Amino acid sequence: MTTKTVKVAMLSFAHQHAIGYAMVLNALPDVEITVIADEDADRGQHWAQTFNTQWVASIDEALAMDVDCVVVCSENVHHKTMTIAAAKAGKHVLCEKPLATTVDDATSMIAACEEAGVQLMTAFPVRFNASILALKDAVHSEHFGETLTIAARNPGTNPGQWFVDPALSGGGAVIDHTVHVVDVLRFIYGAEVTEVYAQSGNKLAGGVSDDTGLLMFKLSNGVPVSLDTSWTRPSNWPIWGGVTLDVIGEFGVLFANAYNNNYDLAETTTPSYTWQPVEHTGDPEMVSAFIDAVRNGTDVPVTGTDGLRALEVALAAMKSAESNQLEPITHA
Amino acid sequence: MSTNEAVDKRPATAEEMASRPVRFAVVGTGGMGGTHARNLAGSSEAEVTWLVDIDTDRANKLAADIGGKVTPSMDEAFSSGEVDVALIALPTGLHRMGVEAAAKHKIHVFCEKPIARTNEDAIAMTQICKDAGVTLMVGHVVRFFSEYMRIKEQLEAGTLGDIAMVRGSRINPPVMERSPWFADVAVSGGVVLDLMIHEIDTFRWMFGDVERLFAHGLSFTDWHTKRDHAIASLTFRDGTIAHCEASWAHSAFRTSIEVAGSKGLAKHSSFDSSTLIFEPSTGVEYEGIGQQSKQFTYMRPTVTPPHLRELLVFIDCLRTGKPVPVDGDEATRTLIVANAVLDSMRENRVIEFNEDGSVKQA
Repeated sequence: MTTKTVKVAMLSFAHQHAIGYAMVLNALPDVEITVIADEDADRGQHWAQTFNTQWVASIDEALAMDVDCVVVCSENVHHKTMTIAAAKAGKHVLCEKPLATTVDDATSMIAACEEAGVQLMTAFPVRFNASILALKDAVHSEHFGETLTIAARNPGTNPGQWFVDPALSGGGAVIDHTVHVVDVLRFIYGAEVTEVYAQSGNKLAGGVSDDTGLLMFKLSNGVPVSLDTSWTRPSNWPIWGGVTLDVIGEFGVLFANAYNNNYDLAETTTPSYTWQPVEHTGDPEMVSAFIDAVRNGTDVPVTGTDGLRALEVALAAMKSAESNQLEPITHA
Repeated sequence: MSTNEAVDKRPATAEEMASRPVRFAVVGTGGMGGTHARNLAGSSEAEVTWLVDIDTDRANKLAADIGGKVTPSMDEAFSSGEVDVALIALPTGLHRMGVEAAAKHKIHVFCEKPIARTNEDAIAMTQICKDAGVTLMVGHVVRFFSEYMRIKEQLEAGTLGDIAMVRGSRINPPVMERSPWFADVAVSGGVVLDLMIHEIDTFRWMFGDVERLFAHGLSFTDWHTKRDHAIASLTFRDGTIAHCEASWAHSAFRTSIEVAGSKGLAKHSSFDSSTLIFEPSTGVEYEGIGQQSKQFTYMRPTVTPPHLRELLVFIDCLRTGKPVPVDGDEATRTLIVANAVLDSMRENRVIEFNEDGSVKQA
């Protein structure tokens, strides 16, 4: 029996997560990165060479090729046009998070994919992380009892570039780092966020986008959650950041630190001291799951609606940071 | 009547207290009172002349170790002529009674935190001490822990630049079984007035007054008699956003602080910086979840314990006339924020503050 090769077009390397996804795709058997489309010629050619494939400037040119699916890693604001173009070309879509920068954009992306009969998956790798999967089992075990409250963090270094330009990113640290943890909580508890209070600031970098955010929200199962989305890690921090959840339960506390399996590396170069991954799970499992769904015609494990639900919380948090009030989450 | 005698008294003067060890009556010989009494007894700057407790057995046991006379009556101790300072380490709801008794006898006061359960009591106690001409200091001891002092020094030096986000946590096992009065939030204020008040006070010390807050947790749920846990988001007038966590749901006491600014980040965790750890060779279960390793112990022994350091600073202020670092007004402002955290939790609403530190009426 021969396995059909799944052919992938990567649409833009503006988001650096494209690099990690491409590494996974290149390592998977019977998967081919057919083309990298990027309007930035230097960037596109560089990564095409790195991943041993061809570069084209035009998205349309890439979509006209014989590919099964696309991976969208553009600036957030361009997710919509690329996803809708891919859908119209009959290609399945794995789209970087946040799914879009507005609810309207997200719903039109979901509708376009439904209409075209292609699958839309939001890139939420954290729910594929082995510690998060183990956390999901643990919080539902009788040894843990009822979940009472959660303190979560997704701190990071300031990514700079277009991430700090709201016209391209849709915001700053709040929209960038709210969605991962909200998705993980929706995945673990099958619950939605009902209301959010948030405060944000821009004192770390002093730019036009927010770089600091603290959310306080409630899940529909009654559990209150705090979430720190700030880019508090200085540029010379030993690692990019992390995702942690402290879950207070009836009979104990679970501390999840999803990207803590690192070794310390001290070099005589600069930066001199870093934490290097021993194993960071999530990206390979997420990309493989997308490819499997494309190959087998099965449902993608994370949908466009999952991306929309997380986006709704981020946008409500940004609204709350302006109004200084609790904001209800409404679902499109 | 001792009341009439009290009217004629005057507070001990700076010169008197500088000329000899400062004489303390320790009122309440439970956990904190015992710690303070032992620290004072071990210092050449102080003398514990009286131990006051309605549980005279407990007080007598302590007196056998460190000396001092024992009485169940504050009036007896305060009218003895042998007391310069009353150290009030009673349950929170009795702080006002103890402070008022001391002020009536013109005795200086060191009061454990929180200054009171209610804002009204705190304001009244502060005024009573001012009227009596006695010095009042409140034991917000975290300001005297070395790690918080070092970070405060970095903030004042500007090392971290403009501060954007600060996180503080203070987590502990449940205390309600050992001290049942803590389980009654109306009386104790729960985990917020016992633990989170430290983060609130320390962050006020570092960043000034609070503009707005929101909080959630377990203090007003059915869980509060078994587990208490609270998280507050405080926004300071300088724009600093704070995440405060307090817990009676863990298995060991731990604290942490992280301060992030435009030029850098400073963090400290009591567990990560422990200098002496005891790990039992048996008895710790690694299988399953929800297990508590009761015998595992970590320590950071210091030459001058923070609880002694705050009293030595207080003694120095009494002897020199310098203002105390945490007076009644300062402790009242901290308490107003802590009580607002409780109100926010109970009523699920955002609370805003006026510039004078009072709560803005909705």
